[in-house]
Parts: sequence; structure tokens; C-alpha cells
Amino acid sequence: MARSNFSVLTILSVILLLPVFSLSFSPDSPSDRRLLVLFDYLSLKSSHSIFFNSLKSRGFDLDFKLADDPKLALQRYGQYLYDGLILFSPSIERFGGALDLAAVLDFVDSGHDLIIAADSSASDLIKSVATECGVDFDEDPSALVIDHRSYAVVGTEGDHTLIAADDFIESDVLLGENKIEAPVLFKGIAHSLNAANNLVLKVLSASPAAYSANPSSKLSSPPSLTGSSISLVSVVQARNNARIMITGSLDLFSNRFFRSSVQKAGSPKKYDKSGNEQFVAELSKWVFHERGHLKAVNLRHNKAGETNEPAMYRIKDDLDFSVEIYEWSGKSWEPYVANDVQVQFYMMSPYVLKTLSNDKKGLYHTSFKVPDVYGVFQFKVEYNRLGYTSLLLSKQIPVRPFKHNEYERFITAAFPYYGASFTMMAGFFIFSFVYLYHK
Amino acid sequence: MGRATSKDAQALIHSLRSAYAATPSSLKIIDLYVGFAVFSAIIQVVYMAIVGSFPFNSFLSGVLSCIGTAVLAVCLRIQVNKENKEFKDLPSEHAFADFVLCNLVLHLVIMNFLG
Repeated sequence: MARSNFSVLTILSVILLLPVFSLSFSPDSPSDRRLLVLFDYLSLKSSHSIFFNSLKSRGFDLDFKLADDPKLALQRYGQYLYDGLILFSPSIERFGGALDLAAVLDFVDSGHDLIIAADSSASDLIKSVATECGVDFDEDPSALVIDHRSYAVVGTEGDHTLIAADDFIESDVLLGENKIEAPVLFKGIAHSLNAANNLVLKVLSASPAAYSANPSSKLSSPPSLTGSSISLVSVVQARNNARIMITGSLDLFSNRFFRSSVQKAGSPKKYDKSGNEQFVAELSKWVFHERGHLKAVNLRHNKAGETNEPAMYRIKDDLDFSVEIYEWSGKSWEPYVANDVQVQFYMMSPYVLKTLSNDKKGLYHTSFKVPDVYGVFQFKVEYNRLGYTSLLLSKQIPVRPFKHNEYERFITAAFPYYGASFTMMAGFFIFSFVYLYHK
Repeated sequence: MGRATSKDAQALIHSLRSAYAATPSSLKIIDLYVGFAVFSAIIQVVYMAIVGSFPFNSFLSGVLSCIGTAVLAVCLRIQVNKENKEFKDLPSEHAFADFVLCNLVLHLVIMNFLG
């Protein structure tokens, strides 16, 4: 008796507390919350502890697992358990548990974020995940990025595989407002962007003097990946706004690189701290949707002077259009301020294209005259800017021609015809008098 | 036969003029009326050619009133002409009454179509 009471109690409490358990990624709060971190070996947890602690202090729940853990699962009963995945397991040949290449790609296709770090021990599995995301790693397993001009000066003359890179992409939304002063230390393999892919961006590219080759053997043929086409860190923003960061150096995130000083070969300036920590922190803020995530709400249109939305417009009407755009700041929705948001009044081609003016509080508005063409139009707002989520809004509205009683009463161009008709009537009248009474 | 000279053309015109002068003055009044209506129609067509056909219904209405007036007047002239064997038994008052009624209908239609 007591046992059945107890089980009833537990069932009741679980049902009542279920809403509390579903506090996670939702459209109202788009930052990720739960991250799964996969390692090859557990010592990575301590050797990269500064990075993980900074993630925890920003409010993420990290779940550390070995990459071949047989209990790995990204989703259970159709629901995803995590909002983001960090793959720090370059040498894994096969994931454990329910995870494989298709599962990772489905995870990204459903709008979740991903960080992939490879290094010289990168397996085919990790390389194929990266290829599916639009980035091709060097196929030679023993090749590293070598740069004899931009290497980091260490005590002994090394083989110039430790690179000090400072060729960043120009974007405040990706890398934050503060400029990264010190170069970023990188040691790992090269990747290049797939030329057919227009969603992938090079965030940190190698200098024109870099190439990808085996450092311990002589070059027998010119290397296939050279110069600025080598990307050291790339990001992809997919069309469903999932964000992926791919890099060829796991050490980029390590405590050792975060803390070390850096001096680029050929320049006298020595920085006490490399730019790695700032670079990784800012870029991970972007990847996990703490920055650059836009939402547009309240697309409204009405005739000038009215407040309700009509179901149909007439040609040559004056109308007002407004939309509100907000940006997620990590904790709340802030108004998004820009002066290049445009609206199109579109039917097969844009008849009207206007730039929206904003009031600095997130409300964008404009007014224009409906064109002299009738049909079914759409209000279209298409906004794709580097680093921001894409906004694609459209609202259909029909436009009708004039009703027969909406024309001007007397058309000036037709006055001669009016005159002729009345003249004919008068002429008939006069003629009949003359005809009847002439002598 | 033979050569057509300017003297023949002149003789032709002269005979036409003298024959026309012999027509009754009532018929001449009708002819003047027809000429006025056709002239008015031509002016409207030239105007449309210059300015364009908007609004087309007004153009049609104006031209139709002129042409319709001309046609009805020609019908009146045919019925009233004494030399016309076909309408010998038709009293000219009857013809004139028909003319008036038809013109009323014509002008009613014109006013409606004028827009």
C-alpha cells in the first residue's frame, strides 16, 4: 500500500515539474544552454580548462564525455538533449553510442551549433564532418601549416609550424567590438574553403607565405594548399541559422596557448598574452548565438492615416509599412539599429524598393504609393548580412484596379467629345426648326 | 470618247452645279446639316489621332453621335425627296416624325455611353 502511494506521488510530482525541466533553447531565448563536449582522452578537460570555465561562467551547462563512450546520444525519443556540440576529438575513428556522421549532420540540420577542432591526428570521420560543412582539410595526414614569415618566435629555432596569425576577418559581429591586438597562436592542419559554398567564411586566414606540408621531410612537389587560400579558422552560418566553427588546431583552445606570450617573426613587438583567449571567447559567443542573432516581429502595413490592416489595396493608394527588428544580446532582446534594411513591394520583380528608416528603438518604417499595376503583391524583407542571421519575411496582399465609380467624373481629355455630342443635340434642335419653318 | 480634257471636267462640274441649284431648298438644308455632322466627326478623329484614344468610350460616343446624326439626316432626305419613286406614298410629316424619334433614341444612347 505504502509503495503504491509512493509511486503515485512520484508520477504526480514528475508531471507537475515537467514544465520546469523544459527550460532550454527556445525562440524566445536563442542562446544555447546545454553543450556536449567530446574528447579523445580526459586530460583535455584540464589542459583546456580556461576555455571551459569561461563557457561555464557565461551560463552554459557542459557535459564532458569521451568520444567513444558507448552511452553517447544526441537525442532521445525525438528530442535533442543538447543545444550545441563541441568536437575536441580529432583522432576518433568511430563515435560511440548512437552518434555517427549522419547523426551529427542531422543535429546541425535541425538548427544546432557545432565547434570542430582537428589537429595532425585528424581521422577521416572528422575530416568528412568538416567536408559536409563546406570545408576541406588537407588530405595528407602528416602535413601541418608551415609559415616561414609569420611564425611565432620561440626560444629555439623550430620548424615554423607554430604560427602567429593576425589576418582576421573584418566583422564586429563575429569578433566583437574590441580589436584583437595580439596575434593568435596556431599549430595544426590546413583547410580550404569549398569554392562552391557561399555560406562559409574565413575568420582567420594564413598569410600569403604559408603552405601545408610535412615539416620533417623535404618537399618533393609543390604543396597543394598555399598562401591565403589556407584558412586557419572558418565559420559557416547555415540557412537555418545553425552556426559551425571549424579549425585545424586543437591547441588554439588550450591553456598553454592562452597564457603564452607571442612575438611574430620579423616584428619587434612582443605581446605578453596571445590573442587566443579573446579570439576564442568572442567567436564562441557568436557561434552559440549570444551575438548577431536577429528576430523580426510585427510586420504591419496600413493605409496612410488608418490603423487597421486592410485585406486589399487599390492602385495608387498611399500606404505605411513597419517592422520591428531585435537582436539578442545574450540576455535580452535589444533593438537592432541599422540603416540598410529594405522592403520590396514585389510581384515577379520589385515594383517598389525602399530603405526603411528606424527610430533607434527597433521600429523600422516607411511609406510609399502603391504602383499603377494590379495583381497579387508581396511585402518582402530579405536581410542577409555577414555574421547576422538571415531575415526572410513576406506578406501577401492583393491590389485591385479602380472601381468604375472611382475615376474622375469629367475627364479633361474627353472634353471635345462631350462638346461634339452636345453640339450635335443643339444642331438637331436648330435644324428641325429651320426645316419645318423655312419658306 | 477619246481624250478627256479639262474642258470636259469643267463641263461636268458646271452641269453638276446647275443640277444641284435646281434642288428644293429643304433638301439643301438637309445637305448642309449632313455636311456639318461629318465635319464634326472628322475633327474628332483627328483629335483622337493626336492625343490618343483614352477614354475610348467617350471618343466612340462623340463620333457615333455625329455619324448617327448624319445617317438619320440622309434617311430623312431620301424619304422626303419628291423625285424618289420608292417613297412616293409616304407623307413627309411621317418621315420627319420618324427622324425626330430616332434622334431622341440616338441622343439617349450617346448620353449614356459618354461616361
